[in-house]
Amino acid sequence: MTIARFLIAAGCAGGIAASLSAADPVKTSAQGIYTDAQAAEGAELYQASCAACHGAALGGSMETPPLNGKWVANWSGKPMSQVVDYISHAMPLYAPGSLSPEDNAKIVAYLLKANGMPAGAAMLPSDPAALAKLRFDVARRYEPKP
Amino acid sequence: MIGVGFGRRDMLKASAALGGLAGLSACATVPAARPTVFGRRASGKPYLPPMRMNVDEIVDVKCCIRPFRPQGPRLDAEPLGDTLVIHNYGHGGSGWSLSWGSAEIAVTKALSVLPREVAVVGCGIIGLTTAVAAQRAGLKVTIYARELFNRTRSVRANGSWTPDSRIALTDPAGPGFGDVWEQMARISWKAFRSYLGLPGAPVDFSDQYSLSNEPIVRREHPSDATIADSYATKGLPQQESEFGHYADRIKDIIPQARNLEEGENPFPTKFARTASQMHFNFGSYGHLLMQEFYAGGGHYEMRDFHSPADFKTLREKVVINCTGYAARELVRDNTIIPVRGQTGWLIPQPEAHYGFRYNDVSVLSKSDGVMIMNFPPNAGEMYGVNDSTEIPDRSDIEEGIRKVAPLFADPMWRA
Repeated sequence: MTIARFLIAAGCAGGIAASLSAADPVKTSAQGIYTDAQAAEGAELYQASCAACHGAALGGSMETPPLNGKWVANWSGKPMSQVVDYISHAMPLYAPGSLSPEDNAKIVAYLLKANGMPAGAAMLPSDPAALAKLRFDVARRYEPKP
Repeated sequence: MIGVGFGRRDMLKASAALGGLAGLSACATVPAARPTVFGRRASGKPYLPPMRMNVDEIVDVKCCIRPFRPQGPRLDAEPLGDTLVIHNYGHGGSGWSLSWGSAEIAVTKALSVLPREVAVVGCGIIGLTTAVAAQRAGLKVTIYARELFNRTRSVRANGSWTPDSRIALTDPAGPGFGDVWEQMARISWKAFRSYLGLPGAPVDFSDQYSLSNEPIVRREHPSDATIADSYATKGLPQQESEFGHYADRIKDIIPQARNLEEGENPFPTKFARTASQMHFNFGSYGHLLMQEFYAGGGHYEMRDFHSPADFKTLREKVVINCTGYAARELVRDNTIIPVRGQTGWLIPQPEAHYGFRYNDVSVLSKSDGVMIMNFPPNAGEMYGVNDSTEIPDRSDIEEGIRKVAPLFADPMWRA
């Protein structure tokens, strides 16, 4: 590798790293972005408002998507603001937007916990700007070799 | 054409039944129906196999939301950065019926910008049909969707030819919509005809009967002058008369209904009206379309879209948005009004190949079961409007079955 090529490559890598850190949220859901107490409250809200369609154990049905496993696949890589925003607007299906922002955050905290994401010291916020700094992701992806 | 004419099939059925009776007569008392020659019962009634209306034979209760847009389906093309999004959603209760014609409009728009590949988002009847139509136009197609066809809302419809059921409101849709509707309906009708007579009956015809002890008149939709509000003032339709009806535009090709004369009515009701109607069998039809899609080199990727910006991340630069009710959230189209519908299903009864409406219950015998829809008295297009509850209610179906069961308890069926 010539020096010029090395510099170009290093420059590109640096550029990518810089753009990632600038655009990317600082914390992912694999790093503890909700509290256990919040998830416990969310579990109760889930049973009251969501379980009728998505099932008491989040398994969904033939008609209703499960909120485990596949839910992770559908949302991985997205900012938490999108996750909470979707639930705020579209759910519950029979009365969209009827839950408060705090309750929606609690329900999402429960879903994170139910999907194996660790709890942390700080509550999952309900404020969109704060949520935008968090990213939904798994601790490790198991992808095929390139 | 049971009960209307005497086809060869009816003759065969009648003689088979006679043969069966002859065999049974040896074992004495069998109080069974006795069809005589030419498909008639001893009473003179035309012979038609009765349906079993038994709540213990319910195998499914399905609920779904029709994506109703007062303006009619959204079919425009929308540039989004370097991506062209062609919308194809919001077909109300007419998605199945208009699927091919609507796909044609969307694919034609796509072709005009010369893509070699297109993305189709959504895999209900509109998405899957659009994908296949795009392949038939020579394009390489990937479907991106949360679910494949047989888990979408489309298979929770009733699956009959109902091309102007909750398709638009007359005023918001405007005078030009009739022409677009007619184009979609005519193309779809001809496309579906190419599936008739295939194994598994993906598309089929059967006779539908309206039954009553009161004279049956064609349903009209007069405006109620005491209702001052309308969609224009409330954002929701307020009465039946606001809904657009376009079916008369294609009555030259659609079987029309006629009243049965006394002696032609195979049911124990005083009055009957009948028409042949096309219907779609979800299982065989869905399999055929999926097979064609894969055989044509189609790919599927499970994917959930969360905002229109996600369309831009696809490698294909022409994206056809076929997301139905989900478009309400995905592209924040609040003109979509949910209209709830529910069907119950009894085990298949292929020998009873017909449908009927009686006592505000619709029944249709299909290849994957006997479909039951139960309505309150005089329910029309307003029934289910702005109801997005998708939780099935089995008791409603049980009630429907009880409402029609007396029809088949009549001694007529054994005479």
